[in-house]
Order: sequence, then structure tokens, then C-alpha cells
Amino acid sequence: MRSVRIPLAAAAVAALVLAGCGTTSERTAGSSPGASKSCKGADGKYTIGMSQANVAEPYRQRMDDDIKNAAKDVPQFDVKFADAAQDNAKQVADVENYITQQIDLLIISPNEAKPLTAVVKKAYDKGIPVIVLDRKVEGDAYTGFIGGDNVQIGREAGKYIAEKLLPQGGNVVELKGLAGATPQAERHEGFVEGIKGNPKVKVIASASGDWLREKGQSQMDALLKANPKIDVVFSHNDPMAEGAYLAAKAVGREKQMKFTGIDALPIPSGGIKAVEQGRLSATFTYPTNGKEAIAAAKKLLIDCGTIPKTQTLPTRLIDPSNAAKIYAEENPNG
Amino acid sequence: MTDVQDRPAVGAPAGQRSVAATLFRFQSVFGLIAVFVAAIIFSPRKNGEILFISADNLANVVRAVSEIGIIAVGMTFVILIGGIDLSVGAVLGLAAVGSAVLMVENDWGFLPSVVLVLAIGLVFGALQGIATAMIGIQSFIVTLAGLQIARGLARIWSGGQGVAIAYGNGPNEAPASFALLGERTFGGLVPIPVIIFAVVAAAAVVFLRVSAFARHLYAVGGNEKAARLSGVPVVRVKVAVFAICGLLASLAGIVHAVQLNQGSPNDGIGYELDAIAAVVIGGTSLAGGRGSVAGTVAGALLLGVLNNILALNNIDSNIQLLIKGLVIVAAAALQRLRPTS
Repeated sequence: MRSVRIPLAAAAVAALVLAGCGTTSERTAGSSPGASKSCKGADGKYTIGMSQANVAEPYRQRMDDDIKNAAKDVPQFDVKFADAAQDNAKQVADVENYITQQIDLLIISPNEAKPLTAVVKKAYDKGIPVIVLDRKVEGDAYTGFIGGDNVQIGREAGKYIAEKLLPQGGNVVELKGLAGATPQAERHEGFVEGIKGNPKVKVIASASGDWLREKGQSQMDALLKANPKIDVVFSHNDPMAEGAYLAAKAVGREKQMKFTGIDALPIPSGGIKAVEQGRLSATFTYPTNGKEAIAAAKKLLIDCGTIPKTQTLPTRLIDPSNAAKIYAEENPNG
Repeated sequence: MTDVQDRPAVGAPAGQRSVAATLFRFQSVFGLIAVFVAAIIFSPRKNGEILFISADNLANVVRAVSEIGIIAVGMTFVILIGGIDLSVGAVLGLAAVGSAVLMVENDWGFLPSVVLVLAIGLVFGALQGIATAMIGIQSFIVTLAGLQIARGLARIWSGGQGVAIAYGNGPNEAPASFALLGERTFGGLVPIPVIIFAVVAAAAVVFLRVSAFARHLYAVGGNEKAARLSGVPVVRVKVAVFAICGLLASLAGIVHAVQLNQGSPNDGIGYELDAIAAVVIGGTSLAGGRGSVAGTVAGALLLGVLNNILALNNIDSNIQLLIKGLVIVAAAALQRLRPTS
């Protein structure tokens, strides 16, 4: 028995490694990489792989849903979904699995740019067209990028607070997204620029709510204790803004201040409804780009056309004057 | 001595074992073979090729398993003495950040960076071992605190942001020798992390078989009081085991940083649970005293193959979680049926 164990252990490792050394079936990219060589026109059948960073966030679930719904109208498309659960390494594996499956097109919303760059390039170099959504990858080894402009959104939010909510000036607290996340840095950067126009607007405190409603609430509990006078809460997303609202309400101060968010998801628990129902003063749309991604895929695979390298979708201000109307527009089926 | 009967995994004379006992002992290896065969059967095919066993795919599977595998080897040691280490994922993040900051921002060389990062993991683990063994706090609590501390340190060290790694000889570039470690394949086929994992696993298997330390380790896990009474240096064993676990988590962090060209303070969230799952599937008893590194390696590979085949078939990610959960429960249930020799 004793003598068996090491070989067995070694075999367990070696079996897979050796099997990996067996046959080589590297597909060589035929024509120019990323070109629509996979375009077989309207008669073709296409498998599209969608690699999502994390579906625990409602914004990203909505992105998947938008892709699913848009793809329903294109009978040639069969879309697969993978969820990386915020783990870069898992997302690399997800994309590699898609490459193994020889999908016809990859849509990816990367968890982070740097770690996903190499594997996206690998797919692209194998001739798979790649549409990158929301967060970029580095370099230019992808077919097209579609996203919002977080700096611009932050700027619009800052301007709105400085001009509309606090023309006479006042105290603002900022609830930030997850430290280390690019949108968090960009929304903050834009916001700081946006409020510059009004020097009487002061950011008196900021805290990180990690994009989460409950974290936004507990951070706001503390901010309320520490700051007797708060006029506006600027939150990097709607769930944290809702959390902050609940915290203020718990101590009876919700009417003394205004709350703004970002994302404006057209779902029942989203920011547009919160504006419509009066909890938030405003929010700013951050398009999921799901519809646009399928439109781009259609152009590449079915029309054999090309798509722009970068497509930036503008943000829209949602306030009580337009919330109900936009919610209805985004949900035509009720 | 008590440890003899409590450590069947190190091997008692073959004659004393029934076939059933052997089957149970290598349940994870048989499980791995079963899952591997099932994966071939259920693999999607394209142009007559079985996608699962394509060279590229198998290389992907073993590479994806490597980091968790390296951590799980360390975790096996800790669980063998009846402890648990919840800090390994955070230590991985800390080590990934450390590698990136030292080489990219502080312009350190390859070797000193790696040595310092490994030393940090070792010391971090040893401190947790000391808190467990000498102050007598449960390892669950100590390492739960360790998780927070390592995550906090990683955020502070990185300035709260992912530190991107670029390669070259200039300032703010990591040395090319580090990139070598990150080359995805050795000889064009075997990913480097797999080689590191294989070496770590082999070393651990040998270590557990030949060293006197291993006897002490199984003794502590089997019955700590009895071990102490029979002269086993319990405190030293515990500190050493947690130090090894921290060291390996740190090594996994270095591998992680090279693989992803980045050290991020959010790296490795939840990895401790995957490592524990690999150990449990590998047949190591959470009560301590019984189990093997070979089982853990098989357990990690089993999880990797399972992940891969579910993904290749585009099983919904929520269903994937259910299936993996059921596999863990099944493995643990089989352990309960195992005859105690």
C-alpha cells in the first residue's frame, strides 16, 4: 500500500497534464484577425458567448436580460451566458471555454481591464469577433467597444447638484463604489469637475459603500451621526442612494436632504422608479448596451459589415419630470 | 501511540485493510476518474472532435485548478491538525498586490520581491499559528480576523487599486524574468502554474510520508491531548502548519499576479471556500487526523473538471452552484460511511 500512494498522487496530476500534451489542435486564424470571416450571412446559425463579470449586480443582470431579449428577434442567434462572479481568473476561464467551444462571436463585459486583456486578444487572434461592453480592455485587440462614459456621467451629476439642487451652496456627502473599481474612480473624477462651477458646494465627507444597498445604508448611519447638516447625498449608484435614504429616514432626517444616484435601471427596484416615487431627486442613465451589442453582432455576422471601434452612449438625466415616461419607454411590454 | 490508529492515510500494513476501506480512502481519485469519464461522454463535439479532451482545453482545466490546488495543499495540512484557515484567499490577494507593487512601483528585482512576498505569507501564517496554539483562540476565529487584516493590508499597500504589471527593463516595469513565470505554457503545452502546483503537491506528499514532523502532525490532529502527553511539541507543530499554509497561499498569490498581469486587493475573494471544498472532496476529515494530499489534489482536479464540463455545456451558472454544492455534500456523506479501521 505504502508504495502505491506516491505513484497514484503523481498519476492524478500527470494524467491530465500528459493528456494535455497529446493531440494538438490549435486552430490557426485564417484571414485577418477579428474581420468578419465568420460571416455566413442570413442563412447561417451563430453561437454567441456572453461573458458577464458578475450577475449579482442588478445592472449586469439587466445587461444579460437586454441581450437575451434583443437576441430573441434574431432567429439565427443562440446566445450562451457565463457569470464570472467578480473573479478575474474565473472570467479568463469562461472566455477560454468559449474559445474551446468555437463560438462565432464573443460579447464580454470585463470584470477588470488588465487581467482580461490577454484572453480577449487570444479570442480575437483566433478570428472570433469580440464586442466589449461597459468596461474596456487594454490595447486594440477587439472588434468594437460599446459603453457609457463614467466621467461624463459624474460630471453631469456634479453639475446638476451644483446648479439645480444647491444653487446657494451646501454640504454634500459622497457615497463611492467599490475601491479599486474603474467606474468608481471615473464617476468621482467627473463629479469633482462637475461641482467646480459652484464654490459654495462643499463635499464634507465621503465613504465607500462597495456598490451595495446595505453597505450604503450602514455608511450613511455613521455619516449622519458625524454630520449634523447634510444637504445632498451623491451616490455612485442607485442602490447605495436608496440605502442612504433609508438610513436618513430611520432618524427622521430624510426630508432635510436630497439624494441622487447613477445607473437608472428600468426595473421595479431600480433608480427610475425611486425617482418616480420621490425617494431620489435624480439619477443618470448608464446604458447597459445589451441591445446595441446584439445590433453590432447582427451587423458583423449577418450583414457582413463593420462596426465602429468605439461607440459611446450618452447619459440621460432622470428627474421627476420624465421618470414615468422613460420607465414606460424602456419597458414596452409593461 | 494513538497516532498510529488515527492516521490510516499514512498507511498501515496492507493486509489489515479491506477492499472497501481502500475504495473509500481513494474515493476522490475514483470520483475524479468518474467525473473525467462523464466529462468525455457529455462533452460537446465539433467536427468529430471531443472538445473536452482537446489539448488546449485540458491545459486550461489544469491551469485554472493550479492556484486553488496550491492553496488546498496548505489547507490540507491545517485541516489535518483539526484547524481551518479562512485567511488564504486574502493572503493570496495581499501577495498578488505585494508582487505587483514591489516590482512595478518600487523597482525591486524578481528574486527579492518573490522572497519577501513569500516571507510575508510565512510570517502571517506563523502569527496565526501562534495565536491559535499559544493563546488558544480557535483557528476559525484567528483566521477570520486574519482574513480581514490581510485584505486591509492589501488595500493599504495597493492604495485601494489594482496595480497593473507591465514587463520590461524600465522604471515601473516588472523584470522580464517574472514574465517567464507567467508564460502560459512550458514547452508550448504545460502551463507553468501547473508545474508549480505539481511540485508543491509532490513535495507535500513526500513530506507527509517521510518526515517525523508528519507523524506529529497526524498525532495532533488525531488527539491533541494524547499527543501532548506523549511528548509531541504541539505548539511548534501548529505554528509550522499555519506558516506552511500562509507560505503556499502567498505562492499562489504570486502565480495569480503573473497570470492576470495585475495585483488587485480584491483578488482571491472566496478562494478559501474552494480550497476547503477540494480538501473535503479529497476525503480529509474536518475533525482532523485523517486525510491525504493526494486526495486533495484529486479533489481539486475533480472540481476543475466539473467546472469545465458544466461551462462547456453552458449550464446556467446558478445551476452550476447547485451541482457543485451537491458534489461536496456527497463527498462528505461518503466519508461518514467510511469504516474506521
